[in-house]
Amino acid sequence: MGTLGRVIYTVGNWIRGSGQALDRVGSRLQGSPYFHEHISRHRTLMNVFDKSPLVDKDVFVAPSASVIGDVQIGKGSSIWYGVVLRGDVNNISVGTGTNIQDNSLVHVAKTNISGNVKPTIIGDNVTVGHSAVIHGCTVEDDSFVGMGATLLDGVVVEKHAMVAAGALVLQNTRIPSGEVWGGNPAKFMRKLTDEEIEYISKSAENYINLAHIHAAENTKSFDQIEVERALRKKYANKDEDYDSMLGIVRETPASLVLPDNVLPEKTSVRVPTTHY
Amino acid sequence: MATSLARISRRGIAYALSSNLIRRSFAAEAVVLKTTEVPKPISEVTPSPDRVKWDYRGQRQIIPLGQWLPKVAVDAYVAPNVVLAGQVTVWDGSSVWNGAVLRGDLNKITLGFCSNVQERCVVHAAWSSPTGLPAETLIDRYVTVGAYSLLRSCTIEPECIIGQHSILMEGSLVETRSILEAGSVLPPGRRIPSGELWGGNPARFIRTLTNEETLEIPKLAVAINHLSGDYFSEYLPYSTVYLEVEKFKKSLGIAV
Repeated sequence: MGTLGRVIYTVGNWIRGSGQALDRVGSRLQGSPYFHEHISRHRTLMNVFDKSPLVDKDVFVAPSASVIGDVQIGKGSSIWYGVVLRGDVNNISVGTGTNIQDNSLVHVAKTNISGNVKPTIIGDNVTVGHSAVIHGCTVEDDSFVGMGATLLDGVVVEKHAMVAAGALVLQNTRIPSGEVWGGNPAKFMRKLTDEEIEYISKSAENYINLAHIHAAENTKSFDQIEVERALRKKYANKDEDYDSMLGIVRETPASLVLPDNVLPEKTSVRVPTTHY
Repeated sequence: MATSLARISRRGIAYALSSNLIRRSFAAEAVVLKTTEVPKPISEVTPSPDRVKWDYRGQRQIIPLGQWLPKVAVDAYVAPNVVLAGQVTVWDGSSVWNGAVLRGDLNKITLGFCSNVQERCVVHAAWSSPTGLPAETLIDRYVTVGAYSLLRSCTIEPECIIGQHSILMEGSLVETRSILEAGSVLPPGRRIPSGELWGGNPARFIRTLTNEETLEIPKLAVAINHLSGDYFSEYLPYSTVYLEVEKFKKSLGIAV
């Protein structure tokens, strides 16, 4: 950028500065203290004393998540927005292909009323729904913790088991394989059908694919974001079919296309329960 | 005494090491923080040395996925803590409060006129719903969704109140002018008829609403709209953080 460009840039900077000064004056007149904005100090992966998280390179950890302390996360897992994995007093280990969805909390207990303290172990291909609270539990492979569920100390969720949404599972409950437990306090509700068990694994797999997209998006640099914003704006008016009858071929830019494995497959099989 | 001394010295060393690494890597590249990590051979976990442990940008509020870009109306208040991802539309006068996550990556999420999604809610949409209807999450106008709620592929018709910490599962429908009590859980496909008060886990009918109560529902949404106006005016359209970043970079000797 030449000298003129630099001059204009500096003038722009002055104008921004005076704008902020005006804002400060206005705030002072209002009586509110001037709020000084800081850079975000949120640390996604944070050590506590000497315990540091060990996170595989293939894991998607959302920037707003907090992985603190003694946590191990295996390959292909995803930690979504707002999740807190607090391994400060004990160990948390999350297996491969597991997804811990938005706003959940995984914590461990140091002391317990009953006295036995267990680390939290979440197995492979587990789906932990939104806003779940998991405190000192063992969740075995291929199981499903519904959204909003609260699992208290010492709970064991066996393989292929499901905790229904909103359940409150009391201390030291063992949820046997192939069953759905729910309610407050959690009780046996029904047995899982084979299709549902298959869907648990399918949902974990879908989430692995989804996590890749979110991971790619969240790690973009400022320049990439700006370029794509311009592309999107340009593409917003005329999409692929717009002039296709005239024979004009328009192609969505590659960076704006989502990979196929995230979009729903067109299956003719109707499953009676919810799809994840 | 000796153990605490050891711990303090360990912390001191660790701090010194990390700050040195940060200085060195910042000199090399402005954006990505590299920390050299010795991979501990615990089963299959292979950590990446490039993983960013701290990004000065924090979490982006609006996350576009592919072609989908979340749209926020000009007078809608969306707290800086919020994550809007994918196909999310926040219409006029509505507000999304702190810590909420609206993840429209599988299907659409719409937040209607003058509605509000309060703190720490998670709104998601599945690919398909058990009812066979489109699985998008539609929150119509004048709806108040209480704090800590979880909404998944549900439809909330105009002028409703969803109590705090409620869970609405796939395919549920809350018809117009009804109220859900706090902590209620709607199983998949549940329909709440118009003008009634439901609550509990699973949600059960409690009573019908009187006319006066029904008139209060949009008033609550409008009141929260006024409140969100105050919050909205606290935030300048452009933040001043860029000054901090420039100062920071200058102090580390990186070209701004």
